[in-house]
Amino acid sequence: MSAQASAVPDDIKLRLVNAGKRFGGSAGTQTIAVRDFTLDVRRGEFLVIVGPSGCGKTTVLNLLAGLERATEGSVTIDGRPIDAPGPDRGVMFQDYALFPWQTVWGNVGFGLAHGPAGAGLDAAARERRVRDCVELVGLAGAEAKYPHQLSGGMRQRVALARLMANEPDVLLMDEPLAALDAQTRMIMQDELLRIWGQDRPAAQRRTVVFITHAIDEAVFLADRVAVMTTHPGRLKAVVDIPLSRPRGDATRGHPQFQALSQHIWSLIRDEAQRAAVT
Amino acid sequence: MATSNPRTPLPSRIVMAAIDMSVSGDLPLGIATSLGRVFAGFAFAAAIAVPLGLAMGAARAVERNVDPLIETFRPIAAIAILPLAILWLGTGTAAAVLIVAYAAFFPIVVNTLAGAKRIPPTLLRAAATMGLSRFTTIRTIIVPGALPAIGVGLRIGMGVAWTAIVAAELAVGAKAGGGGSGGIGQMMFIFYAYSIELNRIIVCMIAVGLVALLLDRGIRTGMRLLMPWGVA
Repeated sequence: MSAQASAVPDDIKLRLVNAGKRFGGSAGTQTIAVRDFTLDVRRGEFLVIVGPSGCGKTTVLNLLAGLERATEGSVTIDGRPIDAPGPDRGVMFQDYALFPWQTVWGNVGFGLAHGPAGAGLDAAARERRVRDCVELVGLAGAEAKYPHQLSGGMRQRVALARLMANEPDVLLMDEPLAALDAQTRMIMQDELLRIWGQDRPAAQRRTVVFITHAIDEAVFLADRVAVMTTHPGRLKAVVDIPLSRPRGDATRGHPQFQALSQHIWSLIRDEAQRAAVT
Repeated sequence: MATSNPRTPLPSRIVMAAIDMSVSGDLPLGIATSLGRVFAGFAFAAAIAVPLGLAMGAARAVERNVDPLIETFRPIAAIAILPLAILWLGTGTAAAVLIVAYAAFFPIVVNTLAGAKRIPPTLLRAAATMGLSRFTTIRTIIVPGALPAIGVGLRIGMGVAWTAIVAAELAVGAKAGGGGSGGIGQMMFIFYAYSIELNRIIVCMIAVGLVALLLDRGIRTGMRLLMPWGVA
């Protein structure tokens, strides 16, 4: 995980080098959300960032999305600096950010209809893509519904379908499962890996950066887990998750799964306890 | 008995006056004249206020420059510009339309701006991550997101348009000495200053109220049709 400022190796999709983000104006009132953050995300990798609330996970994701700009260091995609949002990096927001005035169909096809993702596609091709994505997330039959008519789990599926329909190179997901109940959450974890393509060869998978505060979720989904600590947000460790794919219920019961979860918990326990009492 | 004076308003006399005025065609004609002016002035106001409010909501620079201007003029009652309107445009329809447009403009622009600024930032961020252009963002996010507030602005604007037209026609009627340009407000002025028929004034008041109610319902229905997602 070397972080040379020079040419970025071909297998590295996203690279943060000493990236930092401060908010606020004068030195005395500044808040440092993220400091000295160095991490490579490999092409086709499912990377999960885990850490206690307030550790700056979302800020890191926003730096990668280009929704916020680093105040220190550099953030690059394929070696190019990230300074603005772009359709090559799709974001799934924690509150889903569905457009209330669009139906399920309109939301899923929104980027194709109004953004560059639809360029070069005729109407039939767009419709096919939207239909595929709607079916992929199991929303067939709900196309004409509006977001307020859907359950939380269904909204989350719409957001996922919208993300997939735009076919971005990189999927950035900000606690997309946090609002779901425990059962729906586990089902969506399985679905997410299926949609990501865990049964495909690694070279054909999309790069994913996924934020969560749930350690078991991180271990279940990830190729590697980046553990963050608070005040200011820093990278504490990167843990390889060598569990075989495809993963499923058997994975959750695997002794290695338990051991990895324990290990990650031990890395953030002190932090989490401190956060819980302050 | 207190009711011996035939000018004292009584429900029965108001009903009789209403029938009389309707049959003679005076009331429908007066309403129609005023309605035409309200529509014209309201349309002018909306045509300027909605795009301006959206532009202000979409671009801070526009808001910073235009907002002080709007807030300076907004407290100036529409009727206060009447002398200028009459001076420039005479005592006819043009002056009345200008005053209606002036009055209706402010609630529409202020509400449109508020609606455009109240759009959840996460929706704008979602649009940005999908690579939408500035103009497309306005068209596909800010316009539909502001629509409920625009609807409120249009409803308030329509109500204000009616208060303005009655005031304007009353004043123009006074200026024109009872002749002039017609309309429900001028009818009221004549009943007040010349024939002194309070019952007929009340008929005019009720007529204005009922027409305004119908228009409000019309706007509400129109907005509902424009917003089938129905969260507002």
